[in-house]
Amino acid sequence: MILLALLFIPFAAGPLSYFMRERRRMERVNVGAFAATLVAAIALARRVLREGSVSLWDGFLYADALSALVALLTAGVALVCSCYAVGYLREDERSGAFGENGDAAAQLRKYYCLTPMFVSAMLLVTLANNLGVMWVAIELTTLASVFLVTFYGKLTSLEAAWKYAIIGGVGLSMALFGTILTYYSGHKLTGSDTLAGLNWSVLATQAVHLDKTTMRLAFILCLLGYGTKAGLAPMHTWKPDAYSEAPVPAAAILSSAMLNCAIYGLVRVYILAARCLGADFPGNLLLLFGLLSMGVSVPFVLVQKNFRRLLAYHTIDHAGIMATALGVGGPLGSLALMLHMTFHTVAKSLLFLCAGNVWQQFKTDLFHKIKGGVIRAMPLTGGVFLMAILAIIGMPPFSLFQSEFLIVRAAFEAGHYLPSALFVLFGAGVFAGALLHVGGLVLGPAPAEPPPGWLPWRETSILALAAVLVVIGFWLPAPLLELIRGAARVVTGG
Amino acid sequence: MSIFNNPEFGDKLVTLMAALALVLQIAMVAQRWLVTNIRLFSAQSFALAAVAGVIAWFTHSPHVYIAAFLTLAVKAILVPLLLERLVDRIEIRQEIEPIINTPLSIVISGALTLVAYIVADSFYHPEEGPPAAASLGHNTLAVAISLFLIGFFMMLNRRKALTQVLALLSLENGLFLAAISLTYGMPLIVEIGVFFDLLVAVLVLGILVFRIRETFESMDVSKLRRLRG
Repeated sequence: MILLALLFIPFAAGPLSYFMRERRRMERVNVGAFAATLVAAIALARRVLREGSVSLWDGFLYADALSALVALLTAGVALVCSCYAVGYLREDERSGAFGENGDAAAQLRKYYCLTPMFVSAMLLVTLANNLGVMWVAIELTTLASVFLVTFYGKLTSLEAAWKYAIIGGVGLSMALFGTILTYYSGHKLTGSDTLAGLNWSVLATQAVHLDKTTMRLAFILCLLGYGTKAGLAPMHTWKPDAYSEAPVPAAAILSSAMLNCAIYGLVRVYILAARCLGADFPGNLLLLFGLLSMGVSVPFVLVQKNFRRLLAYHTIDHAGIMATALGVGGPLGSLALMLHMTFHTVAKSLLFLCAGNVWQQFKTDLFHKIKGGVIRAMPLTGGVFLMAILAIIGMPPFSLFQSEFLIVRAAFEAGHYLPSALFVLFGAGVFAGALLHVGGLVLGPAPAEPPPGWLPWRETSILALAAVLVVIGFWLPAPLLELIRGAARVVTGG
Repeated sequence: MSIFNNPEFGDKLVTLMAALALVLQIAMVAQRWLVTNIRLFSAQSFALAAVAGVIAWFTHSPHVYIAAFLTLAVKAILVPLLLERLVDRIEIRQEIEPIINTPLSIVISGALTLVAYIVADSFYHPEEGPPAAASLGHNTLAVAISLFLIGFFMMLNRRKALTQVLALLSLENGLFLAAISLTYGMPLIVEIGVFFDLLVAVLVLGILVFRIRETFESMDVSKLRRLRG
């Protein structure tokens, strides 16, 4: 029941917003639906903590601690971004950002209709037990978000959307091949020709009996496919474009919740591969792609001129960090991955929201045009921006320091000395680049522009998210920590 | 025993249709006219529907019939119709301009087919002795992988947005054939989901192509070069 509620509330909110012709009603439907979704996600997490796993329709929908954690993060980000979007889109409409020929009502309808569908597809990714259905849902997240990327209808948005759709499509076709091969690798097991034959929960218990050659190829293809979706290098090229063209609340969802979903798909396949082939083969591949992504993002972060693209490269870096954590594996690596996923979701969506405020005030996302002083013009945004960037580059006492430190520790304990050294090196590069750029943007003398008004929806959602970021740096609520531990146990299978 | 119950005959039919699909794929690489390309894709989907239909007949599996029917309805009829309408709407009749010239492209396609046969070879386990009925269609895996690889190559080799969509679709045809030949198709719900995704993807990409055409006065995606760094 709870699983259905989680899927259908946002799914129904999409078409419903479409028929609400008035802006205020669309806003209410969206915020209301996402609030209800978050409540459902919390309820699901509580049930999973109590019962271990929840399933429906003979295990067609299935949620364990890992699904519940990712669903909870998705629902949380969706709610915050929908609140922020209310303020953001009102400001867009007021300042005429929809363009002279843009019909504001149609634009708003597009946003408020597509976002719930997008979120619903992401929730289906986390709840689908069948690996094929999970693939379908991941492809649906791409399709639902393409028109969010073209939202402003500029030349560059079309280009970004084209890259996003085509690279995503090709990448995911590899993942589909991987899924077919996974199905084939289990074809000798009993009951493999039924619907349950591709169910993750079934395959996971029989993983040792899967065909090894096929599983190896299947893992490589799934890694390439879901890696494209997560933006691992060298399949990351769509990411900075899509993130810098989409409206900021949508970009925040793309860079945090959708990244989680892609990583989630990767984790599910990794678990099968690790149980079938041993952890070394999938782990080493993940380490390779993870460290490559971290390495590739460093020069781009260092020379970046545009702050939304900076954040996008930063997300590539973090996708690499998560892949590395998964590659290190073991109880400690898995725990670090789940912690990092949680912390990154909060910090990265907060960063995008702050960037959105700056963008709307200065009408540019280039560093050299703003020339600093954001903290004087907009004390709240500037302050939170600086705090969030310090958090995300792994400054203690913020939470991401803990998770990244845990990853290095796990890597050392597992004897991955070179990867650990590279991890620290690339981490330092990104640290320097991000701090330099964002420091220059936020600090400095006050600019000449008049200070903006206080937009309650926008500013409150930023404040709320910032409060969450500060609090989880020092104290994780016990049930959440238990959920994170549970998700890590799903990976290690204990 | 009637010829329609003889698995050997079924096997030959499947091989024939799969070979036809491969020939059509290479024809798509060589063909320079967009509309012809769409029709070749339609014919290829038709051949795949036939493969699925034959396999369904000989293995008596109703869900493969549904997959065959969906292939026929969606990929052989609906998608080509949509694409042709799109071509009409944006009024392009010009040739596809591949990056690599046609003769060399065909040689590369041949080489990719060879690679596919080598890859597919690793999936045969002759020492286990294939059970008679289950082996039906297994020899088409090599064709499936060739379609996939050549689809990839077409993707890279083409500049125009719409032709890239066609390449993506033919690549997907390869996946469908792989699923059919390895496991007689995915579970039905997955198969339906994949078709739904495919249809939505064609609509989404079609709208994008239309808007790119409107905005850029060209479908040449190599002109999409504003976003860098």
